[in-house]
Amino acid sequence: MMNAMRTALGIFCWLMLEACAPPQLFQPHIMQDVDTQFDFNVWREAPSTSKGRKVQLGGRIVEAEPTDTGVLIIAEQLPIVEHPAYGPTDQRRRRGVFEFAFLYPGKIESSALEAGNRFIVIGMIQGAKTMMVGGARKSEPYLVARCVHIWKTQDREISDFPTIGADYYPLEENTYCAASLEPETR
Amino acid sequence: MVRHGFITVIAGMIAATCVGTFVGSSHAGELRQDRRGRSTPTLVAQVAGSPTPTSTEQSSKGAATSVESTTLEELLLQKGTITMDDWIRIKSEQEYRQAEREKGIEILKEWKSKVENLPILSDKVNIGMNALQWQYYHQNAHVGEGQSQDNIFIRRSELLFWGKINEYLPRWHALYEFQSTNIATNSSGRQSTTYFRESYIDFRPFPSWAPNLNFIRFGIFRMPFGIFTNTSGGLRDIISSPYLTSVGSGSASGNGTAGTIDFLHERDFFMDVRGKIANRLEYVAGMMNGNNFHANAAQPLSANGPKQFYSQVRLFATDVSWVSFNVIAGESNNANTFINGRGKGAFDRWGIDARYMSKLFPGFMIQGELWQGHDGANSVTVGTLVNGACQGPVPPCTGSGAPGVQRRTWYVLAKYLISDGIFENWEPTLMYEQLDPSTATSNDLYTRTIVGLTYYFENLPPKIHCKFQINYEFRHHQGTGPGTVVPNTDAFAQNAILVQWQIRYM
Repeated sequence: MMNAMRTALGIFCWLMLEACAPPQLFQPHIMQDVDTQFDFNVWREAPSTSKGRKVQLGGRIVEAEPTDTGVLIIAEQLPIVEHPAYGPTDQRRRRGVFEFAFLYPGKIESSALEAGNRFIVIGMIQGAKTMMVGGARKSEPYLVARCVHIWKTQDREISDFPTIGADYYPLEENTYCAASLEPETR
Repeated sequence: MVRHGFITVIAGMIAATCVGTFVGSSHAGELRQDRRGRSTPTLVAQVAGSPTPTSTEQSSKGAATSVESTTLEELLLQKGTITMDDWIRIKSEQEYRQAEREKGIEILKEWKSKVENLPILSDKVNIGMNALQWQYYHQNAHVGEGQSQDNIFIRRSELLFWGKINEYLPRWHALYEFQSTNIATNSSGRQSTTYFRESYIDFRPFPSWAPNLNFIRFGIFRMPFGIFTNTSGGLRDIISSPYLTSVGSGSASGNGTAGTIDFLHERDFFMDVRGKIANRLEYVAGMMNGNNFHANAAQPLSANGPKQFYSQVRLFATDVSWVSFNVIAGESNNANTFINGRGKGAFDRWGIDARYMSKLFPGFMIQGELWQGHDGANSVTVGTLVNGACQGPVPPCTGSGAPGVQRRTWYVLAKYLISDGIFENWEPTLMYEQLDPSTATSNDLYTRTIVGLTYYFENLPPKIHCKFQINYEFRHHQGTGPGTVVPNTDAFAQNAILVQWQIRYM
């Protein structure tokens, strides 16, 4: 009887901990040595200073373009929150420029690359790179992604789902890990 | 005005300081130098917000400017090509243009902040077209003289309004549906009936508890049961509503198999709590009125019917594939409701639903639902107001006298979206469904097979869903019990073809 109660208590505690912990989007070894509290503004000011660092960034897709080496994504950095739903959020108004770019060296289906979709990227900082953004030539802080998790939010908040319009519509999300950099692709 | 006044005061102070400086320090100075000294205050006046420099600082700055940043007009002035008056005029024009530019930028900034705060841009108010559907419908069932087997109409024109006030009120929602088929006549001519459909408020008591305890929802909305009842016409894969929401027509019978059966009604008065645990388990638990959302139409009678508990637990295998368990249990009332085919007494529904969206075979989806449940006794023809409960069709009671029957229904739907080649954006769909009005009665089954083809003009669900659909329905209705047959006017026993063109944009 006591054993059963202990087991039940253990399961309950495990469920509570599991419920409270943020979801693990990436494998633990992907997250090794990754700076999850990376200061984006400092990097934006001086893109070359953090070269070689492994970082985690959240954001929203502004533009995505397939290239010979993968998919080049122009994005707006957004803060990652745990409540009301884990992921990047645009709920607080901010002043400044938060644009950056990253290359995912692999393939991603087109519906995941729609403007407005939210993502969290794990990658290595490469400094700045000049590229065409909205028809204009710009120098953007740039990183190469190892893995990226994309929510197909279409510019809505992650927490808006699954109630969208007059419907129940579960939010589709996928993790992509570059085959050339990471053998495990989920 | 205040800003201009401030600039004038500072400019005046600087001018006075500079004039004093030059008068005191260069008695024998050149006239040109003196004039330049007088012009300096005008330049400094551009930076109205900066602190006023001391006379020493000012004179040294003026000197530095002349040496390090000689402009074209200054060079021309030094060479004697232009006069000091020309120089002053040029400078004045430059300063005027600069001031105008700054003023323009200030106005733009002011407007930007105003525009940013507009409710429509801050997610507080949104407007969308949930579904605008043009439909052609042909039924093989015979119809009365003067009516047509072919119909053309606007099936849905649903305007949706929603928004987020703050973290505690994450959503308000109002849906209005209009249909050309519900245009009613009155003494003043034709009048389009506006249809209230949904209105609710979400309340999140503790934002830091979300998504585990996400919010409490109050109002009238789609039932969180199964898949079809929780999916609006704008996202459905077939044109018709499934039999589980409504089937049959005519008057109720003594064995509970005839008449309209609203096995799962779509909307009601609710209050429920919702959340998601460990990103894998969604839950809903609440209470509903059970009289359907039309119940207020029975005014002055109250819509406050006997309550029913409901719950759904949905377990996700992936982000978009799941299996869920549903229950509704409580008391049914056949008085003053619009779903009184359920009779009076104990009422329950038990259901399981599942959806599989393939990641290995993108574009393929299969889903199904299985429901079973008891109705109360003495069901009444749906939509007929009755005078309370009674056992048997004894006047003035309009009840059917049917016992509380157990009903059962299920369906399976599969579709495949072709994403490349010449058939790109085409989606074949197949659905089979069955509804047994009474599991204790034979020869009463409703069955239907739907073969469909959809073409997507734009397909970015849930935001955009613009499509053209053709459905052919093979319908069969056995009867209303042993030895019965159905007439050729029974629309549920005759095949039909439906063509629909839809626009959805939110």
